[in-house]
Amino acid sequence: MQILTAALGVIAHFIIYLSFGSLLTKRKEGELQLSLSLVVGFFAYYSLFFFVCIPVMKMYRPLSLLTAVWVPVVAMIVLCAVIFCAGSWVAKGRSILQSIRRHPLPAAILFAILAVQIVIVTTSYNFTLDASYYVAGVATNVDTNMINVYDPFTGAWQDHFEMRYFFATYPVSDAVVCQLTGIPALVQTKTVMATVVILLTNLVYYMIAKLLFEEKGHGTVLMLGFICLMNLFFITMFTPSLFLFTRTYEGKAIVGNLSVMTILYFFILLVKDRKVRLYWLLLFLVCFGSTTVSSTANMLIPAEVSILFLPDIILKKRFRQLLPYAACILPGILLALAFVAYVKGYFVFYTYPRW
Amino acid sequence: MTVLNVAEQGIRYLRACLDLYSENCAFPALYFAALIFLCAKGSERDKRIFLPGGVVLLLTVYNPLSPVILMHFFDVNSEYYRFFWITPAIVLVPYVATNIITQQKDVKQKIAIGALIAVLFVFSGNFLYANGYQKAENIYKMPPELMEVSSIIHENSDTEYTKAFLEYDYNMQMRQYDPKILLTIDREDYLYATSADYTQEMLHDPEHPQYRMLAALIKFDPVDPADFTDALETSNTEFVVVNKTHRMIPYLKQAGLYQVGETKERAVFKYDLKDPYVFELVDYTAVY
Repeated sequence: MQILTAALGVIAHFIIYLSFGSLLTKRKEGELQLSLSLVVGFFAYYSLFFFVCIPVMKMYRPLSLLTAVWVPVVAMIVLCAVIFCAGSWVAKGRSILQSIRRHPLPAAILFAILAVQIVIVTTSYNFTLDASYYVAGVATNVDTNMINVYDPFTGAWQDHFEMRYFFATYPVSDAVVCQLTGIPALVQTKTVMATVVILLTNLVYYMIAKLLFEEKGHGTVLMLGFICLMNLFFITMFTPSLFLFTRTYEGKAIVGNLSVMTILYFFILLVKDRKVRLYWLLLFLVCFGSTTVSSTANMLIPAEVSILFLPDIILKKRFRQLLPYAACILPGILLALAFVAYVKGYFVFYTYPRW
Repeated sequence: MTVLNVAEQGIRYLRACLDLYSENCAFPALYFAALIFLCAKGSERDKRIFLPGGVVLLLTVYNPLSPVILMHFFDVNSEYYRFFWITPAIVLVPYVATNIITQQKDVKQKIAIGALIAVLFVFSGNFLYANGYQKAENIYKMPPELMEVSSIIHENSDTEYTKAFLEYDYNMQMRQYDPKILLTIDREDYLYATSADYTQEMLHDPEHPQYRMLAALIKFDPVDPADFTDALETSNTEFVVVNKTHRMIPYLKQAGLYQVGETKERAVFKYDLKDPYVFELVDYTAVY
């Protein structure tokens, strides 16, 4: 029963991300870019959640209030997406099915590559220290019906919010799902979201491979096979591949794999194609969404965007792009500065009103 | 990477950090080999995508001066390795490998080179399950015994929330499964106990009674049972869960604890607090 619930949970997450993403990427002309919609939808979902979550948390309101506010927002967006994009979804679904029928072997290999990775993250036991914060944090929020007010490690009440994690609201979203559906925190984080992250990360690999091979199917499948093999063997305590397979529930795993690769995807897209405004807007969402997933993004995302985009902007003298570039790195820099200010004692957010 | 320190190692930090990051994996080296391959044989488009970023990566992230400069603004000691995540090795190396294969005209050559590359990948790194695969025993991915311990504790507690002292691995996992069990020891205290010693001053610190418990049960330091009992009282700890072969079990009994249950490998001890403590969630209704 729990496995069925988890599977339904994965499907529900994908429908929600697809809805968010479709509304952002759908254009009158041309067919829907399903993969892009799903990936962008993921970051758009957590970006919007951030703005709903922070005020509720900062004002020490209960998790149930956040759930009550967030669910109608999501329902409204899904409804809008169904009204405006359902036709595109059906058309895209048909085209995917036709493509699978035309190329059954590559499709079977792709499914096998995905299946191996899903089996790894959903069936293996890994003892990781950080779960004692992240997963226990979700369980604690659900149990206490508060948001980050109690210490996940011990359960003790904290008099102020831990600012290192304050703006990374991704785990709170897991708590909302747990409260709404009754799924245990361990299942939501280590099975449902782990599967979601594995699927999305591979989807981005697929998108990159397709761009690089310009739709040549065999090259794409072979490259995905090599990526999977490399991820399975690039294992030390610090590599993103290890995070992807053993600490998939952590925001760091998402930033180190999904975010980093999505930004690379947009870079390749912008080098190849110049639908500049839309891509920069979507890239901004990815960058901002990443900072709401894990504070690791605060230093990593500005660094990656700078390393990839600045040389291209300078070499090609596209100085107009400095503005959207700055917008992409700004959220990370601002949140990093906020954390530095907190560490230096300039401010603190208490978990109770101080009159 | 808490073992490394930029202030101590200076420009040698980067090399040490990279060594720890990659261990004996050759993938970072393969990334730079792939960049050189692109330089020589890549298309203009591929060069434009991968080369400028690669050069900037070398000048910044892989520059030994970078961690030293960054340290002036942020503490990057334990987290500098995350900048290595920007390196698109996971895309570029397979891309170049695939290109090499698809450029071959003969199918047999394609298969042979593909197999060679696969073997190269396998021998260039560490396999995810090099130390064995451990299958999760349930959908919670928790040891079944931990779940049994949780049940025993609640069956023997009069309150909704109760506080327990657990050994390291259970301490790190219990609240993921059961947030109604409060823990006496937090993560930092446990990490300290496993890596450093307690001074007499720490053992007599009334603000941190948990030091005495860790000293007695983890470090096996001589702690008077009365002081241990006092630590249980002060920290409101009702349960102590240890391995059944734990050498301090007689000590626990001497301190007044009694066994209320056991699993295959663990024994659950209870201590009756003189003044039973009832943990209640903070009432925020007055605030809003």
